[in-house]
Amino acid sequence: MDPLKPADAKPMGREGVAQSSTSAAPVIPSPAPVTPAAPSRDVAPLIAELGLTEDHAAEPTALVTPGDLHRAAQALKDHGFMLMDTVGIDYSTYTEPRPKRFAVLHNLYHPRDHRRLFLRVWLDDGETLPSLYPIWRAANYLEREVYDLLGVTFTGHPDLRKVLTPDDLEGHPLRKDFPLGETPTLFRDGRHLDPAAFRAGLTGRDAGLTGYRGELRRGRGEDRLPPVMPEGGPK
Amino acid sequence: MTTTDKPGTGQHGADQPRRPAPTHGAQAPGGTLAPEQMQPDHQESTSAERLHGQTEGQMHTQIMSLNVGPQHPSTHGVLRLVVDMDGEYVVKVTPHMGYLHTGFEKTFENRTYQQGVTYAPRTDYLHSFGHELAYVLSVEKLLQADVPERATTVRVILHELGRIHSHLVFVGTGLLDLGALTPFFYAFREKEALQDLFEAVCGYRMNQGYFRVGGLYRDIPDDWAPRVEKFLDQMERGVTEYTTLFAQNPIFLDRARGVGVIPPEVAIDLGLTGPNLRASGVPLDHRKDNPYCGYESYDFNVITSTDGDSLARFNMRLLEFGESIKIVRQALRRLKPGPVKDPNRKISLPPRHELETSMEAVIHHFKLVTEGFHPPTGEVYVPVESARGEVGYYIVSDGGSMPYRVKIRAPSFVNLQALEYACVGAQFADLITILATIDPVLGDVDR
Amino acid sequence: MSSTDGRNDLARFGSEVFRASPRQADVMIVAGRLSKKMAPVMRRVYDQMPDPKWVISMGACASSGGMFNNYAIVQNVDSVVPVDIFVPGCPPRPEALIYAVMQLQKKVRGEAFDGLGQQLPMVDAWTR
Repeated sequence: MDPLKPADAKPMGREGVAQSSTSAAPVIPSPAPVTPAAPSRDVAPLIAELGLTEDHAAEPTALVTPGDLHRAAQALKDHGFMLMDTVGIDYSTYTEPRPKRFAVLHNLYHPRDHRRLFLRVWLDDGETLPSLYPIWRAANYLEREVYDLLGVTFTGHPDLRKVLTPDDLEGHPLRKDFPLGETPTLFRDGRHLDPAAFRAGLTGRDAGLTGYRGELRRGRGEDRLPPVMPEGGPK
Repeated sequence: MTTTDKPGTGQHGADQPRRPAPTHGAQAPGGTLAPEQMQPDHQESTSAERLHGQTEGQMHTQIMSLNVGPQHPSTHGVLRLVVDMDGEYVVKVTPHMGYLHTGFEKTFENRTYQQGVTYAPRTDYLHSFGHELAYVLSVEKLLQADVPERATTVRVILHELGRIHSHLVFVGTGLLDLGALTPFFYAFREKEALQDLFEAVCGYRMNQGYFRVGGLYRDIPDDWAPRVEKFLDQMERGVTEYTTLFAQNPIFLDRARGVGVIPPEVAIDLGLTGPNLRASGVPLDHRKDNPYCGYESYDFNVITSTDGDSLARFNMRLLEFGESIKIVRQALRRLKPGPVKDPNRKISLPPRHELETSMEAVIHHFKLVTEGFHPPTGEVYVPVESARGEVGYYIVSDGGSMPYRVKIRAPSFVNLQALEYACVGAQFADLITILATIDPVLGDVDR
Repeated sequence: MSSTDGRNDLARFGSEVFRASPRQADVMIVAGRLSKKMAPVMRRVYDQMPDPKWVISMGACASSGGMFNNYAIVQNVDSVVPVDIFVPGCPPRPEALIYAVMQLQKKVRGEAFDGLGQQLPMVDAWTR
């Protein structure tokens, strides 16, 4: 058999990691609780080094403009980051106001230092984004998928066409104005049951309708902690 | 024996001067790849040799497009490959996916978080616990839920058993693609034993929906842990058996060694993760590097290889059997009695006996089933190491009881890009080997 | 897949061979969810099968769309190819698939009975 050597993967140090432990953390705390990261995994100095603003999110995220994306991505590639994923999100029915309709997040990870950074770009409908294919070839299918499902066009992509949906499907399924496409269920006695009427969940906009205070209220700090079962069982 | 007289036969091709190698990817005059571009130790002749140097003017060759259609026994599911070939050598391969697109992400947006647990394992139906764990960990991070230790330990056991299951199917069907029929039955013997264990714990042989946000659906049966121990012994014997069956087989070695070499920089550039990346020399394993579910306290090795060829990718998974068995043994020793669900009644359903006596439990149960819990607004991502690579569910919550957006970082989708790179210049049979060792699962690719 | 392995051996019921080509097949098993992109391809594979041919729709997702009721999944495979046997389950057990194959064999011979005890007509491929 091959000389396979089991290596325990300790993160190998790189020069860029050493400065991170002594630099200042961002002043504004993020609203959602952040899992404490080991000092060598803090990306705040990296964000500052690249000249980007930090986004307030549970995951380490940096805001980038479409024009600046290539420069930032190339700098991160030179640092050794790899592209793991490209997420496209349509915020049109979101409960909190957002700067623009679409956001594209690039999920970057450093395979040796084990640091993760998300690059968020805000886009309007019809706005294009430069493709990261010249920098990471992993962007090939990932951007095609965002184009197919959300309609975001990437300039400079070698082969931007649909990848998942059938060729005759018009529209972009993951947009909020594209319907789920449910077929009503026909029962034996001739009734049609509309699946939407039986939907269990509520969207964020309808959440207040039933008056049920879920365990974590949005926006109010006083009941952030979920109530735990009291001693001796339920009241 | 008469020999056919070819018109104008001059000297044998062997003493014809070799043409200078053109740049990689360009078509050499005469329509064939230069010898330098082919695999280092293959024994095939060039078309110049075969045609005794009479390639121009004698035979018109052109690039042929072969459609390895969605319906094909070797494509691991419904994957369509359009292969541009020069004779037997692949010039370019274009995968067309989407034949199993199920609209998981849109479906997640219309189901509550707890209902999503039914959908998550059906993306990657071979390592279904990997996706289930990734989804459940993401939602728990959003909720800051408190998962008891027994639930975490059982999750680790099932996660690793799922990895063993996936690699068993890889061994069985991967070798089936190479033409070996026997290992399929040997691997599936262990797979059946494993599926019996899954059935004992949750009733499903595959696509189990056993994990819940906050813990597990219910506790494991009493005799399950000893059964797992017995299975692990059987599995160890099985691994030695598979290794004896084909690891030294010259046909297998010839077909897999040196085929589809992916250097580490290219692997990182292509976004490969999992055994494919580790076979190329990058020791990335999220169980060690971003530990979840207590993996930092388990003692196991991360197997890496520097060869980057199909044989390395293959042997990687064989050795990972051993590591997974080690982890499961350690986890079994840690099993202590305790609860298996987060005690927070706003997330977990109350036990049935409480419904008889407590009004509050009835209300909780009603609300959780008809409406579901409401996590705070936010976006989370928890990466998990599945048998294919990094799986993560990027969940965007808007405060409702259904997720606003779920993006599944599907490892096979990104790994499939390696196919386009690794197959250039290889023979068509090598393409099958490379596809088998990249181990894509089309449910994961297409979601 | 498990129906053909050593434990649930489908071969002992006459279904030994899984052919790579539809031209040599009698039965087509539609296993799992059928996406709308795959539907015309599957129809073409069905058309390539020579008569007599039968179709087993395996699983809830193939038979009715199952848990996937959305833009991407065909809600009943019967709308694309004529199905003879539906196998429920998500996923169906190997024993269920073996039962389905045996039921199909009975249907072909003309010995199948429905739940009320009435005999089902013999499946005659040429009249479809």
